[in-house]
Amino acid sequence: MIDVRNMTKKYGKLAANDNINLSVGSGELAVLLGPNGAGKSTLIKSVCGLLRFQGAITIDGHENHTVEAKRILGYVPEFPVLYPMLTVSEHLEFIAKAYRLEAWEEKGEALLRRFELDDKKMKLGKELSKGMQQKVSVCCALLPQPKAIIMDEPLVGLDPHGIRELKAVIAKLRDRGCALLVSTHMIESVEEDWDITYIMDKGRIARVCRRTDLAAGQRLEDEYFTITEGKSQEDTP
Amino acid sequence: MNSLVFLLVRSARNSLLELRRKPAKLLLWVLVLAGIGGIFLLSLFTRQSAAGSLDIVWLKGILFLFILLFVVIAIQKGLANGDVIFDMNDVNLLFVSPVSSRLILMYGIVRMAKMAFLMGFFILFQSNSLSQGFGVGFDAVLLVLLGYMLAVGVLQILSLLIYSLANGKPRRKLAVRMLAVAAFLPIIAYAGVQLIGTSDLLPALENTLRSPLSAWTPVAGWASAGVVSLISGDMGNGFLFFGLLVLSGVLLILYIAWSNPDYYEDVLVATETAFEKKRGLAEGQINSEASSTKKVKVAKTGIGGLGTSTIFYKHLRESFRANRLGLWGVSSIIMVLGTTLFSFFLRGVDGGTLILLQILMWMQIFMIGTGRGLKELYMHYIYLIPESSFRKIVWSNLEIAFKVLVESVAAFGIAGLIMGEPVWLVAAAIVVYTLFSFLLLGINYLSLRWTGADISAGLLIFIYTIMVIVIMLPGLISAIVLGSMIEGIGVLIGLGVLALWELLAALGCFALSKGVLHHLDMPVMRTGK
Repeated sequence: MIDVRNMTKKYGKLAANDNINLSVGSGELAVLLGPNGAGKSTLIKSVCGLLRFQGAITIDGHENHTVEAKRILGYVPEFPVLYPMLTVSEHLEFIAKAYRLEAWEEKGEALLRRFELDDKKMKLGKELSKGMQQKVSVCCALLPQPKAIIMDEPLVGLDPHGIRELKAVIAKLRDRGCALLVSTHMIESVEEDWDITYIMDKGRIARVCRRTDLAAGQRLEDEYFTITEGKSQEDTP
Repeated sequence: MNSLVFLLVRSARNSLLELRRKPAKLLLWVLVLAGIGGIFLLSLFTRQSAAGSLDIVWLKGILFLFILLFVVIAIQKGLANGDVIFDMNDVNLLFVSPVSSRLILMYGIVRMAKMAFLMGFFILFQSNSLSQGFGVGFDAVLLVLLGYMLAVGVLQILSLLIYSLANGKPRRKLAVRMLAVAAFLPIIAYAGVQLIGTSDLLPALENTLRSPLSAWTPVAGWASAGVVSLISGDMGNGFLFFGLLVLSGVLLILYIAWSNPDYYEDVLVATETAFEKKRGLAEGQINSEASSTKKVKVAKTGIGGLGTSTIFYKHLRESFRANRLGLWGVSSIIMVLGTTLFSFFLRGVDGGTLILLQILMWMQIFMIGTGRGLKELYMHYIYLIPESSFRKIVWSNLEIAFKVLVESVAAFGIAGLIMGEPVWLVAAAIVVYTLFSFLLLGINYLSLRWTGADISAGLLIFIYTIMVIVIMLPGLISAIVLGSMIEGIGVLIGLGVLALWELLAALGCFALSKGVLHHLDMPVMRTGK
């Protein structure tokens, strides 16, 4: 569903992403791990068509800038940016009308209820806390029921309830056949549900790890530290 | 003390060293300095002529109003959050360090003075206007800059003091408001009496500006009177009023330093607010409404349209919620009022409408970016909406097109009535101005398409400005040449040629920037945070 081939993104001489190859199939949860500055957000923005790049990125076989690709793609940015003068409800209405969605109201209501935003429907974007803004951002991305969803650090700023609900939503979406690419620093938050992990370091994919690749008792966190620091966490004093 | 000197010196040194790694920034600084040097050299070889110049009392009036604007801002800031004289890193590192709070205050004030100086740079570029308007030289421009810096410096400290005294105390806030009004009441009353006496706006204003009341009005009066006195060679009054500014600044600093050494809490809110604003900008929130504390009443809700047109209806909803006049906010009112006031001065002047058109077109070069259409580019939504890129651009700029059209009809219509200009000239000015805005949008998208937005905002604005000049030049030359060849209706022909050029050039720019949403990196405001 999400296919990245030989993708390179340079800022001047600096290669933020260097010859990246990545794919996420339908019903798969792919996790993007890496230290700060590894190039995760650059990769995610490039997949969503927000940055120029060299190489090829397709969504369900469509080049990522096409209308067909955009129609089936959902994006939760790293920093939730809402329109300060629109209410929470109007954010959903804007997405619904811009995406030409039909009978969206009930789905919208259900999303707002799920993220405890139903009593904030008339609040303006600027009146919401960062965590609330993040929840609205998630609702906007999920409303069109995309087949592929990209989330950049979606759990940052959420309260415990929000984290629990989002994790449940992610698991449900995966079960329904949605392809998910999620970048996070909170390794333990995806420990239960991940299918494939791409560990990035210095702009490159340093390791592709499938759940089946791990030995019994081995944790994703150990694999991460082995790749990024050359040792597992158990070895650290 | 050593640590603070170290901070100032090392920060300045690192800023200079940074230029070695950022050639674009270095080029900008070289061009700015070369521009100022060029203006200075030009002024040495240009003889100032008083013939045809306006009386210098009007310069005093302009300065008075200009600084009055800063007075109002300073009082408002003082009553809200106080002024920003520290950065968040000062709060996190300096405030908790074992350095005297009074010394830290001095450090903040030194840095603030540096900022006031940098902000005043644009005054140096007004040399030509001042020379043409008032027959003064570059030395006068430096005096205007000095007066501006002194006034802004005093006002920033005043703002801090107001916050420190009135924060959380409604009675004191009321007292500050009353005192502020009381300070300007005499001159307002005097102007009113003069207006009743003369029944004419301009003589009334002139008499008011010549009265001692205007010179003794705090800050705005002192600065404007100080500058104009020194330009006119009246050293005594010049030093007196500049001395008053310096003395009041020193007294305010001493009062804050000795009465309230524990001022950290007073500056914290302003510093944090400024920091959040910068962080918001860097994260893509460039709508000024996001950081506004103004209470907004949500009455009507809902967004019309379907597909790309939803973007336009969303803009309507946002604008009408942000202010009652909808698309035409405070900036529109200021533009129309400013044009109206200026047209009184231009009554009877040959080509008054053309002068107004020229000024408004210059302003529009930088005002066009305030439209919601261009701001959409800093957020991800417009890129992800599954519709054609071209249609998204068109619908997202419809709001600014309506805004400009109505603004120009009001501004040129009223000015035309005041100046007694023929209807055809007013209509031609409206068409030229509106099409110019259309062209500016095209140039904005073309400069983004060409650079991919992968450069600093400052350099992008520089490239955009150069492109505006280069693209407009053939049209302007053709308009002037063709217009001057024909007797009688030459002006109309000239404006017609210019309008046609603007339309063709705009269409060309939009055509060349095709697919801009797919060929740029989503722009980011680099705030240095």
